[in-house]
Amino acid sequence: MRRRKRMLEELDQDIRDHIERQTLDNVERGLPPEEARYAAMRKFGNVTRVKEETREVWSFVWLEQLLQDIHFGLRMLRKSPGFAAAAILTLALGIGANTAIFSLIDAVILRSLPVQNPSQLVVLKWSARNPPNVHGYGSSGDCPMELRSGTANAYGCSFSEPMFREIANANIFSATAAFANSGRLNLTGNGPATVINGQLVSGDFFRTMGLKPAAGRLFEADDDKLSSAPVAVLNYGYWQSAFGGSRDVVGHAIELNNVPFTIIGVAEQRFTGIAPGSDYDVWLPLSDAQRVNERWQNHRSDDVSNWWLTIVGRLKPGTQLAPGQAAVSGLFRNEVLYGSVPLFHAGEPMGPTPQQAAPTGGSAQLRREVRSGGGPPASDKSPLISSIPLQGNKPFIRPAPQAGPPTDRLSAPETARGPQTLSRAADNPQVTLVPAQTGLTGARAQYSDPLRVLMLAVGLILLIACANVAGLILARGAARQKEMAMRLALGAGRARVGRQLLTESVLLSSLGGTFGILFAYWGAHAIVSFVSANQTRPLGFATGIDLRVLGFTVAVSLLTGILFGIAPTFRSLRVNLTPALKEGEGSSASFGHADGKWLSIGNTLVVAQIALAIVVLVGAGLLVRTLANLRSVDVGFDSHNILIFGIDPTLIGYKGPQVDSFYRDLQGRLSETPGAKSVSYSMVPLLNNGLMITVFHWPGTPQDQQSEADMLGVGPNFFETLHIPFLAGRGFTASDFKLSASNSGATPTSAPTPVVVNQAFVEKYLGKESPLGKKFGESPADANGPPSPGYEIVGVVRDAKYSNLRREIHPGMYMPQSVGGASFELRTAADPQAILPAIREVVSQVSTNLPLFDVKTESMQIDRLLFQERLVARLAGFFGLLALVLACVGLYGLLSYEVSRRTREIGIRMALGAHRGSVLKLVLRQGIVLATAGAAVGVGVAVGVMRYLTSMLYDVHANDPLTMIAVAALLTVVALTACYIPARRAMRVDPMVALRYE
Amino acid sequence: MSTKEQKERIELLQGTLDLLVLRTLLLGRAHGHAIAKAIEFNSDEVLQVEQGSLYPALHRLIKRGWIAVEAGISENNRHAKFYRLTAKGRRQLALETNKWDKLAGAIARILRPAEQGDQS
Repeated sequence: MRRRKRMLEELDQDIRDHIERQTLDNVERGLPPEEARYAAMRKFGNVTRVKEETREVWSFVWLEQLLQDIHFGLRMLRKSPGFAAAAILTLALGIGANTAIFSLIDAVILRSLPVQNPSQLVVLKWSARNPPNVHGYGSSGDCPMELRSGTANAYGCSFSEPMFREIANANIFSATAAFANSGRLNLTGNGPATVINGQLVSGDFFRTMGLKPAAGRLFEADDDKLSSAPVAVLNYGYWQSAFGGSRDVVGHAIELNNVPFTIIGVAEQRFTGIAPGSDYDVWLPLSDAQRVNERWQNHRSDDVSNWWLTIVGRLKPGTQLAPGQAAVSGLFRNEVLYGSVPLFHAGEPMGPTPQQAAPTGGSAQLRREVRSGGGPPASDKSPLISSIPLQGNKPFIRPAPQAGPPTDRLSAPETARGPQTLSRAADNPQVTLVPAQTGLTGARAQYSDPLRVLMLAVGLILLIACANVAGLILARGAARQKEMAMRLALGAGRARVGRQLLTESVLLSSLGGTFGILFAYWGAHAIVSFVSANQTRPLGFATGIDLRVLGFTVAVSLLTGILFGIAPTFRSLRVNLTPALKEGEGSSASFGHADGKWLSIGNTLVVAQIALAIVVLVGAGLLVRTLANLRSVDVGFDSHNILIFGIDPTLIGYKGPQVDSFYRDLQGRLSETPGAKSVSYSMVPLLNNGLMITVFHWPGTPQDQQSEADMLGVGPNFFETLHIPFLAGRGFTASDFKLSASNSGATPTSAPTPVVVNQAFVEKYLGKESPLGKKFGESPADANGPPSPGYEIVGVVRDAKYSNLRREIHPGMYMPQSVGGASFELRTAADPQAILPAIREVVSQVSTNLPLFDVKTESMQIDRLLFQERLVARLAGFFGLLALVLACVGLYGLLSYEVSRRTREIGIRMALGAHRGSVLKLVLRQGIVLATAGAAVGVGVAVGVMRYLTSMLYDVHANDPLTMIAVAALLTVVALTACYIPARRAMRVDPMVALRYE
Repeated sequence: MSTKEQKERIELLQGTLDLLVLRTLLLGRAHGHAIAKAIEFNSDEVLQVEQGSLYPALHRLIKRGWIAVEAGISENNRHAKFYRLTAKGRRQLALETNKWDKLAGAIARILRPAEQGDQS
């Protein structure tokens, strides 16, 4: 380093000596001294550049120059604080918005699973041309699935327990684990009873994940045996909140659904569940499945046709996917093609599940519980665990019943008469190993689409910001033209000057990025708390600024700086030196040519900004209108002043008729509570994403044709409570409930179950025929169950939305609820929240051990249902406004610059007799032309792009002309305002002052 | 630089200046101007060195340790900075010369295949 300094210090002297010697040489050759000196200098070349190049030899020059550039850049910024502030703020907004959305994408999509070596984990996914003949299929919503009959390609990631044991024993993976939701767990033994959310996992689960305990120990293989005492592992967060993080918790006894469990440990903090966004309070061994939930079929653990477990394997180090996949696939094919299927053999004891016991009349009829909005099992508690991608209103089989483990019956018509194997060779059943990182989608599926749309929006915003700042720099660049010409004339290399300009841009964008990170941190936090406020459970995604996000921001900042710096840089380097030096700032004549160029770049930038703003605004407009449309949807019942809460006496051992009388008793007591106008209950609350579909035979259609209707079990006074008006017939009487209860038992009566249907049902199945008294859905006894007496329509009610707001109203029937958990609906006179304490009081009189869950008002429920739409609409609206403001600032900046540049010209025009009005028009015209051009381009682009939003829209077309026109009009008005200010300034130009300006 | 008055001057190939400087210094130490003159003179004034470009080259060679600087008195009794070849530079020169011969030979064979054949 020191050597370098010395060398460089002497360089000047060396060069002087050299030139002197050459001069002497030249003199000796007979040149006159003056000429000799010039010749010597000519021969030497560009001294400055030689010095520069020599200095570069001593490396680190780039660094030195960089520091120099940065120093100079900072000085330039300090010199024009207004420009600096505007540019940095614009960039901070652009980069910050990008970073915020990216940090969400990072948390939801990119972050690796919270386990050791996540790249070694694979999840097993089966596929077949037709759905397998299983009689039970449950999914915990960990990965996508397709099971509808008639589908071309069925797939899923649930397997039977015997299949899991076989794969685990085959030693294909270094460790294999299986897991499933436990369903609702009623926890007692730690203060008042609460309902928590658990996951059943195989004994090797934690070993497979490579997790360590934060306290105590985690499960071992021996814990997962029917003979071992029930044990539980707590989630770190739940341990903190419910047990205060006390280490004494290890060994502590609790009761889950009345079964005593011992807490043996706490999982490490980062692990809240394996699938993205999942958050379980507690983990239980698989072997305890039947203990905590009696409704689970007895033979579930050895039933090959009940698929309910997600299987994850850890690849042996250094092995490829393919051999393991072939091995697993072989086991699977063997099982489904050749294994015997213990379908519903006579005499086979089958635990009465709500589904099987329900009076649908026999198992030959497909009885599915379907969700079309949010998803699977414990989703009321945690809608996040439930996300299964949905397109439109296509229903899919809801994996698990509301209040229990996955025990859905799935009996396609073939089941009764079809082959007695799970699948056929023609269906080509096979298993693929999918990296767990991509295969376990969990809640990611629900959020990835909106996030992508938002990322696109903020990307556009960043482009607008770039164009905006580029415009600012161009305007300033025109003012710095003399400086640049001077530098070039003094021998600065063009590359060097270009680098300096780029450094200045990157400096600006880096400052913007720095502020942007703060903005992003705040923004991401606000978004996450908004999401969490709309969930009953906290979001299982932790957002934060991690290395990847930082890297993203740095990359975006650099890219941005280069992007907006490049046009002005090229522009500056093309300066024609002589005129630029001769004329100064403020002259216009010889600038004409150069300015023409800058104007064309400036105009293009403004048009681009406006066009991009239009695109963002149209998207925002469509999303906002979607939200408005969803909000104004006629739900068919009065959603105001309704309090809903869930309560499930089966969790503490109520059975059969006890459940009904419990509900009836509670209903009676609640309706006497002051403030409660009317009380009822139903299997699931309306607009809760829960949905059940029943399949029956409609008289007059071919024997093998199945008809379908939405189905909801309701308590007495349901229609009166929700204000669903009767159009014909009557509601349910006490004897209807008795009949329904006995029909759903093991020995149905011969009288059909009374049902109330909706208008859509009448329209589809009855037409002009009178609905009252119509009977349908009888079926004789067959291999799948006892005979069913079918249904009889006793009343018709107005159409009402069932599972969610987006789903169209389908033919639907209500029947007297007789079994299973239920959700209460209370119509109140005033604020429903106010009478909540009174209600808790009443419930505790009936049973001290039964907690209420999912307590909320119906309007809160609807808000939650719409939270994603609200989130997206709000953010898109915000970004749309941001785009609008940025674009208008860009337009304003351009015109202001124009006016100040043309002050003299305007003065001359006015001196020559131009009207103020015509001057105003002169400026306004340019603004209007630019705004119109931008709007036209923007609408064109929007028309091409908006169809990608279609899946997120409701009741508005992607190319909705009204939205386009409204947005274009809004932009034009705002743009005119932005033009008006500089135009007015132009109008007020005093010709005398302007001319004296010279 | 103008080439009118000269017979026929050739711009130096990129990177060959380093080689020429090393070769020049093989004859003994020299100061900057002398090196430039020597290159021009020895090449019968055919090679045109923009004299300024000598300095980055000298510094490059110093940095690589192929030449060294020492103070001295020039032929006209003035203080001057002399450059001399180091042992490392000598080795490098041999290496580079060899490389250059191969390159030049190869190019010559391509350009004048017949003549080459006659000569050999």
